[in-house]
Amino acid sequence: MTRHDASPYATVMGDGQLTGRPIVLAGAGPYGGDLEVPEPLVTGGKTWADVDRDICMHAERFPTRRWWIAFAVALSFLGLLVFSVGVLLYDGMGILGVNHPVGWGSFIINFVFWIGIGHAGTLISAVLFLFRQQWRTGINRAAEAMTLFAVACAGIFPVLHLGRAWFAYWLVPYPNARGPLWVNFNSPLAWDIFAISTYGLVSLAFWYVGLLPDLATVRDRATHPWRKKLYNAMSFGWTGSHRMWRHYESAYMILAALATPLVFSVHTIVSFDFATSVIPGWHTTIFPPYFVIGAIFSGFAMVITLMTFMRGYFGMKNYITLNHMEAMAKILMLTGMLVGFAYSTEFFMAWYSGSEWEGFVFRNRAFGPYGWAYFIMFTCNAIVPQVFWWKKARRNTWVLFVVSILVNVGMWFERYVIVVTSLHRDFLPSSWGMYALTRWDYAILLGSFGLFFTLFLLFVRVLPVVAISEVKGVMDPKVARSAPEDPPTAAAPLAAQEA
Amino acid sequence: MMPTSTKGVLGHFREPDEALAAAAKVRDAGWKHFDFLTPFPIHGMEEAMGQRRSWIPIATAVLAACGILFAQGLQNYVMVWDWPMNFGGKPHASWPAFIPITFEAMVFWAALGTALVAIVAGKRDTVPQPPPMVVETGATVDRFVLWISATDPKWNPAEAETFVRSLGAQGVRLVDGGADA
Repeated sequence: MTRHDASPYATVMGDGQLTGRPIVLAGAGPYGGDLEVPEPLVTGGKTWADVDRDICMHAERFPTRRWWIAFAVALSFLGLLVFSVGVLLYDGMGILGVNHPVGWGSFIINFVFWIGIGHAGTLISAVLFLFRQQWRTGINRAAEAMTLFAVACAGIFPVLHLGRAWFAYWLVPYPNARGPLWVNFNSPLAWDIFAISTYGLVSLAFWYVGLLPDLATVRDRATHPWRKKLYNAMSFGWTGSHRMWRHYESAYMILAALATPLVFSVHTIVSFDFATSVIPGWHTTIFPPYFVIGAIFSGFAMVITLMTFMRGYFGMKNYITLNHMEAMAKILMLTGMLVGFAYSTEFFMAWYSGSEWEGFVFRNRAFGPYGWAYFIMFTCNAIVPQVFWWKKARRNTWVLFVVSILVNVGMWFERYVIVVTSLHRDFLPSSWGMYALTRWDYAILLGSFGLFFTLFLLFVRVLPVVAISEVKGVMDPKVARSAPEDPPTAAAPLAAQEA
Repeated sequence: MMPTSTKGVLGHFREPDEALAAAAKVRDAGWKHFDFLTPFPIHGMEEAMGQRRSWIPIATAVLAACGILFAQGLQNYVMVWDWPMNFGGKPHASWPAFIPITFEAMVFWAALGTALVAIVAGKRDTVPQPPPMVVETGATVDRFVLWISATDPKWNPAEAETFVRSLGAQGVRLVDGGADA
């Protein structure tokens, strides 16, 4: 590490030295004044070669005991999902809590919950990319993977909610022998199919395009010829040529620009499922922005949860620093306040509209039999994140972790409140009822977490969990460059034909 | 092409700024078939290498238009032509209801198409003779590698090697097709 001559970043070894404030270089500025530079995004005096080692390491060695334990737990919950879905398909919807009048139950709640979680990944990759937020580089790969797995979890629920899941393909408009009988394109439920599938596939494309250069890095590190071949094929023979980078960068920018409105459109369309109905409590114009901001909020909470694990168990503290966590905490607090604002606006409008039905639904929401759910929602989402006004809390990973879990709980209850309290007291008191989850509802909800974490644990085993090429781009070359005396990298026997 | 099996010359730089400065010099010296292999994209490299802006945005625009046409065509065909139905007395061609799917289809075609087109374009838009894959350059690790292909009209092995050395590149070497051709 002797070659880190002048860079102020060379001596920043870890979180302990980060303050969240710029580094002041006395006398280094213009006219002999002070120069303030932002703190490094990568600590530990890492070189570019270190980045490859640190990040690819997890995919290159035999899994640790910890990973096996986590995987076994996740897999058993996935087993629970498979079993309960099997029982559901065999026995039918009667085993669930849905009833009359609460015809939308835990499946719709879970669907909106998971799709919401899926929003942070693309937001981090696309929106923060367009805003040139360089700290996104440490977390975007894992957040995008999280998006894909959350969308996979979300996709299960509407299909199961159909009741006859084996006819799910009827949702897709294709020439068929039933008339052809088409889907109704005026229906938000049909829009949803397009929105969710587009979101899933575009997120996949975005994630994969981002992976290409890193797959080439893994390939170049691979020693086994088959592994080399596999990763070479997966990276489409990426060489790092600037003639490739030219198109790549252009495409990546366009994908970000397309994914940004897509993120907003998807949860908007999910909210149309509710808002275009005539149910008081659903039929409101605030729903699209309210759903989108709630989705971003819950997604960031899940990112914080996952990043806490990545920092702790995968030794990523040099790449996902406390400054990254603090930035996410700030977004969590901002979106939490927006969500709280939406809750309040809804209440205000229920009163201000003068609509008897709307007023009743909201009084019933907060003070009726499901007031406890409303209380959990409001506390976890609007009040708990207020702790992030204190810098100490934003930079304490325990506080962050606990808040992120509470926010996820709160956001699940938000959907519970929206779905259940709007339905359970119908227009006629003779059609009032209560709703409770049955053991199968719980089993499938827990099982979906099993699917999510199984996929995530497999991801961290086989692919680079941090966007290597992007992280390299935000490092200080003075710290990260190779040593001048290095021989050509790993002067391989095949390259022995030097002149 | 030279009668020998020499494929080109390699040299690397340790910092993106050095590579950028070198690229402008290579361009100004009149070399055409050269390339930089780098671990991450360098700002300003297109210009330094004398390349034009990528044409990918045009492909995206065309694909987006295809997506719009597809969605509008499908929805109008189904809802107006093939099986018109009366939903609450609303017009068959109720265009506001067609907007969400039109938007999603536009993004779908544009995004997936752009990803595919960019991959294909990146593969095709190389120098006529890229460095053989088996030569380990370190370009995916921490080297900013300059490659001048032997197909260049100005090619002369000794001259090219001297030129690359004069740029301050390290590890300058000629690569022949020999073992891996």
